[in-house]
Amino acid sequence: MTPKLIRPAVAGLVLAAAAATVPGVPAVARHGNDDGVVRTGSCSGIANWKLKVKADDGRLEVEGEVDSTRSGQTWRWAIQHNDSLSAHGVRQTAGRSGSFSVERRVVNLRGTDRVVFRAVRANTGEVCRGVIRF
Amino acid sequence: MGWIRNPLIQFLAVVVVMLVAVAVGTSLLSRRAADDEAINDARAVTTVLARSVARPAIPRGLVDGNPAAIDQLDRRVLNRLLVDRVRRIKIWDARGRILYSDETRLIGSRYGLGAEEREVLARGGIEAEVSDLTKPENRFERQLGGLLEVYTRIHAPGGNPLLFEAYYSRSDIAVQRERIFDRFRPITLGALLAFATLTTPLLLLLMRRIRRAGEERERLLQSAINASDAERLRIARDLHDGVVQDLAGASFALTTVAMRPRTPSDVSDELTGVSRSLRTSMRNLRSLLVEIYPPELHTEGLEAALTDLLAPLPARGIHTSLRVGDVSCASDEAVALAWRVAQETVRNALRHAAASSIEVSVGSIADELVLQVADDGNGFDGSAVPAGHFGLRGLHSLSRDAGGRLRVESVEGRGTTVTLTVPHR
Repeated sequence: MTPKLIRPAVAGLVLAAAAATVPGVPAVARHGNDDGVVRTGSCSGIANWKLKVKADDGRLEVEGEVDSTRSGQTWRWAIQHNDSLSAHGVRQTAGRSGSFSVERRVVNLRGTDRVVFRAVRANTGEVCRGVIRF
Repeated sequence: MGWIRNPLIQFLAVVVVMLVAVAVGTSLLSRRAADDEAINDARAVTTVLARSVARPAIPRGLVDGNPAAIDQLDRRVLNRLLVDRVRRIKIWDARGRILYSDETRLIGSRYGLGAEEREVLARGGIEAEVSDLTKPENRFERQLGGLLEVYTRIHAPGGNPLLFEAYYSRSDIAVQRERIFDRFRPITLGALLAFATLTTPLLLLLMRRIRRAGEERERLLQSAINASDAERLRIARDLHDGVVQDLAGASFALTTVAMRPRTPSDVSDELTGVSRSLRTSMRNLRSLLVEIYPPELHTEGLEAALTDLLAPLPARGIHTSLRVGDVSCASDEAVALAWRVAQETVRNALRHAAASSIEVSVGSIADELVLQVADDGNGFDGSAVPAGHFGLRGLHSLSRDAGGRLRVESVEGRGTTVTLTVPHR
């Protein structure tokens, strides 16, 4: 193979790998005074995620949700606040929707707060990741 | 207004005044003590919060302003810090940066620390002071009203000294103070009330005993007076029935002998003179009898008694006049008082005034008996009772006791007028 032929192939592999490991782009983004900010998107596999951030009395109520349609799946989750690990844990999907959600309050700091919700499925490495700047 | 003189009323009035004084005094003193107690209580709460709640929960990254550390502290202890009367929490580092506060807008801000705060950071201890709400770091507390801030030193996991500050509402402190004060108030006031409750019956008992003793003394005095009266009556009766009758008989016999035709004229003149002398002695003796024992002082007897009182005076060259009006409505007690006043004032006029004329009048005006004794003697300074006139003071006292009044008008060199006014009953 000539280098010219190799380069498109490598580029295709890299794109394929990226598509397999990086969560999907948020499908919906909504802002509201009362409900805060909500973002949803697709994970790297079949699951979907939702991240909601709402201001409340000097705090931000952060709610992250993963919907995988299969119950019993184990997921490691984490909430980052301004690139700092604010909370983390392990949850299992449950119910007919095969989902789980976590809620945490973080302090509403001066300036823009960057909140990241990240969940990784234990067995498959499927990744869900949502970001809201508030 | 006679009730004012009642010792029980006076005692109860003193108790009420003492109650008010003690209430005010203890209120002021206890309020200060309660204030200190409430502030000490706030210090104790702050110490517990700092050492037992905040310090164990401070994450490592807090001193670096790590957002996750702030979040963790906020989630872990916020509800345990804002307890009871705590209105605000601030954790400062030594450079004056607020690392954490329940008012999240303050987190990350930097302000100058005061000298006392730096002192506590350096040496530890705990301080309390009224918050200065004009300071920018306290701008969010202005809506909370007056605050008391209590601060102490804690250490972060890395050993950095931090200032833990808790804010208390002063109105809450005042409530706490009242709560503390309320525990003392019943003790002080209750003790005084109990004292009054216990002593009032004792005072009543004492008053009853004193009243009984007074009544007994009055009864004994009355018995003594009665005995004296009885003795004087016996003496007067003996004199009247014996000596006076004998003198009258002798005078009559001498006059009879002197008037016989066979009696020589020089003897007759001597007998007539002796008889006149006997009558004078008899008149003096009758006046003495009146003094020893006044006649029956009912209304009908007053005129006769006053006549007998004045009878010896003309012989001393003193002109007298007596006017007696209607005193039929007067009680025997009022008549007796009038007699005593007349007797004392006439006696004073004779002894001290060198009077040449004494006028006595008695009568009624409305429902009062009025006696007036006027002389044209030396008089005295009317503003003061002259020395030796103890009788006049006694008359004042007697007049007051009988519900009457005695007026003495006198001008030096112009005589004296004594007026008694006493109710008929």
